[in-house]
Amino acid sequence: MSNCDQFREMYEAYALGALDVPERDALEAHLATGCAQCAKSVAEARWLVSQLAYTAPEASPSDMLKGRLMQKVRSEAKSPSHTAPPTRVPYWLAAGIAALLLITFYTSWREHQAREELRASNERSIAHMEEERAAVQQKITAMEERMAVMRRENAILSDPAATKITLMPQKIQAPQLVAMWQHQNGIVVTGQKVPMPSAHHVLQLWLIPKDPGAKPMPSMTLRPDENGRLVMVVAHPPDPGGIKALAITEEPEGGSAQPTSAIRWVGAMT
Amino acid sequence: MFLAAISPMDERGASPDAALVRLLLQNDVNAFEKIYDKYCRIVYSLVLRIVQQSGPAEEVVQDVFLQLWRNSAQYDAARGPFAPWLLTLARNRALDTLRLKSERQRRLENQSDELFSVVVAPQYEKELDEKRRGERVRSLVGELNPQQKRAIELAYFQGLSHTEIAAELKEPLGTVKSWIRNGLIRLRESLQAAT
Repeated sequence: MSNCDQFREMYEAYALGALDVPERDALEAHLATGCAQCAKSVAEARWLVSQLAYTAPEASPSDMLKGRLMQKVRSEAKSPSHTAPPTRVPYWLAAGIAALLLITFYTSWREHQAREELRASNERSIAHMEEERAAVQQKITAMEERMAVMRRENAILSDPAATKITLMPQKIQAPQLVAMWQHQNGIVVTGQKVPMPSAHHVLQLWLIPKDPGAKPMPSMTLRPDENGRLVMVVAHPPDPGGIKALAITEEPEGGSAQPTSAIRWVGAMT
Repeated sequence: MFLAAISPMDERGASPDAALVRLLLQNDVNAFEKIYDKYCRIVYSLVLRIVQQSGPAEEVVQDVFLQLWRNSAQYDAARGPFAPWLLTLARNRALDTLRLKSERQRRLENQSDELFSVVVAPQYEKELDEKRRGERVRSLVGELNPQQKRAIELAYFQGLSHTEIAAELKEPLGTVKSWIRNGLIRLRESLQAAT
């Protein structure tokens, strides 16, 4: 018996779909080997089986079915792609789309990054400009204050009615200082080649009241510049009538409420 | 299962059916209507015989013809005549409905089976019109003995296997196999003799 003989009785039942699974699998495995004779016999059996459809009792579908179907078909005919096979995107197109999506995503991401960088850069620039503006403003304010002091200083020093007070050094090798007290603008204390106070210390001006029981009134603090020049301008001092003398001591930075060291310079009101 | 076929008619040239199906690729609604008018009754009769209810039968018929309209490229005239392909498609759809197969399951099976199956019409087959073809087949099947006819009908219209038919008829498996095989061979011989 040839290999095909064992399948000969199966052709019709196979075409009919009546073979049980083991027989069906065996025949299909044989057909898969490319047996032309069995394939032809199975194909003929399929045709024969298809003829059994004509044994069904004759019946006609409703006209409504044709109406529905034709309406659907006419509608789809207007769409040019209805007969196209199920969408199968070619590999090259899929790859292109994927690449495009990737580029789009990357571009969007880079754009987002660039925007973030630009925003951060702008914020940094704005902050930097704010700092510079504040610094400039600070310098302007300082200059304005300095100019105001200079104007006050000039007003005091140029006023012939201002009271001159000479402050003499006390037990130190230092030049005398000169204070000009003008009632309206205040006091200006000046000196040249003034010895530099100790580290972290400043020179502090004191107003000594005439009242014997009153404590010295603390005033401004200052260090001479690197050339030893000293210019102290005190705005809005008290009434000079109640003050009998001016004195200067060396005090820690920030000044003191009461003198903590010996008087370095002192001058009586005249 | 998709049935294509190689028939004498196709080897000589395009059959009228094949020419109409080709027009479907060009969205030819008139060609579709001609095919529907020609085959709607036999398709509906077959489907109704299987599913037994007119409503579901019409749904299956609509499904079959819409598949033809939308996927007419699946039919390859070089591989066989159109009518067996359409009838086999309709039978499978109807049996699927009977078995309540899911749409996804049907599509998977259709893809694997229908595209590659081949039908060969015998040399004696001629291009008969549907009415004459029906009359001839019914007449010849009617000449089969009742057991053969019953076993073949259970297989064809209910999709039962040899074993299931044997259980249904309470007959030995070998007997059922013989009934079916001998019945179909006799039908083939009768068709050949009637041509």
